[in-house]
Amino acid sequence: MIEEIVRYVGAALLVLGTFINLVGAIGLNRFKNFYLRLHAATVSTIGGTFYPLLGLALISFSTKDLGEWRFFMGGSLVVAAFVLLILAPAGSHALARATHRTSVSRPEPIIADHLEEDRGR
Amino acid sequence: MRKYIVLLSIVLTTSVLAYITTYLEAIGLVGLDTRYLAKLFLTLAYNPLARELTVLSPEAVTSIVWDFRGIDTFYETVVFYMAIIAALAIYRGVGYPSIRSEKGLSIIVKVVTKLLIPINIAIAVSVAAHGHLTPGGGFQAGAALAVISVLLAVVFSASSFARVGVSLSKAIALRTVGLLAIAAVVFVPVVFNALTGVQAYLMQNYVKVDSEFAFPTHIQSQLISGTLIWFNLAEFLAVSFGFFVVFMLLSLREDVVREQLGEEHGH
Repeated sequence: MIEEIVRYVGAALLVLGTFINLVGAIGLNRFKNFYLRLHAATVSTIGGTFYPLLGLALISFSTKDLGEWRFFMGGSLVVAAFVLLILAPAGSHALARATHRTSVSRPEPIIADHLEEDRGR
Repeated sequence: MRKYIVLLSIVLTTSVLAYITTYLEAIGLVGLDTRYLAKLFLTLAYNPLARELTVLSPEAVTSIVWDFRGIDTFYETVVFYMAIIAALAIYRGVGYPSIRSEKGLSIIVKVVTKLLIPINIAIAVSVAAHGHLTPGGGFQAGAALAVISVLLAVVFSASSFARVGVSLSKAIALRTVGLLAIAAVVFVPVVFNALTGVQAYLMQNYVKVDSEFAFPTHIQSQLISGTLIWFNLAEFLAVSFGFFVVFMLLSLREDVVREQLGEEHGH
């Protein structure tokens, strides 16, 4: 019983990840400037990979046929999901920060740029 | 036009080679049985019944790379060794600068990198130590560990090498220790032969038809596949710190290098 529930939750997470990936891909195509596109890319790298990996971990935990190896597989997936969860935001943060500091991309229109105000430029 | 000729010739050559290796060989027109070689390697990689031919490693690639065709890998290691010597020769006389207050990336990236580095070390060591059991091995593990040097240089700035206790001379020393360890494993059978008089050959791993010499295959029921684990660990050390040396040199600022080389090269 509990295996069935865990398996369905895992499958639901996989579907959710697919949906987020689709949304991210549409955003990457449709958004106008660098920062917005970076946001869309981050949506699909974090949401679209973290949830499916967790879902796969749950599915492998609930697959009794794998024997003890299911913990090995599922554990690796959880670790991979965690590493991705902390790495992808740091990467996109570094990209956005570098772009802002070097003023490579100047989006139009800017309604508020508090970072620039804080730097006093 | 020229582009299309190049493209066409690549496609033609690829398809002709693919045709030769798949069809002609299969119906025996070309007297070259490459499948036989693959079958032989796969049969012998882990085969306790053929003690005189096997490597006792379930990882066929590592068996081929370090045992069946060991000379190839020694040659590759030597090429890598020479490349690093060349890098050191180009940068000779350049001292690594002492600590300066360089900022690096933002605190978010720094904290994440600090979390990542222990994971990276663990993965690299496990890839090296399981090289005879699972895909991977010394070179791959060394490349994985060398990622840390790039992370340090980019995220924390080049002056952070001194803070974590890695200096250029230490990295060179550790790389040399790795290479000497490979050479030591190669020469163990010869030394054994000289000391005991038992027949043994250079680079020998297990018993051969006329030789009783063999490296231990297990440590307390853990399979270590004779020389393979020692080669993998030594290559791990040599490659990781070899890459460390190269990336440390490459992360030097150009003006610092020019300033130090200035008079000698007349720039």
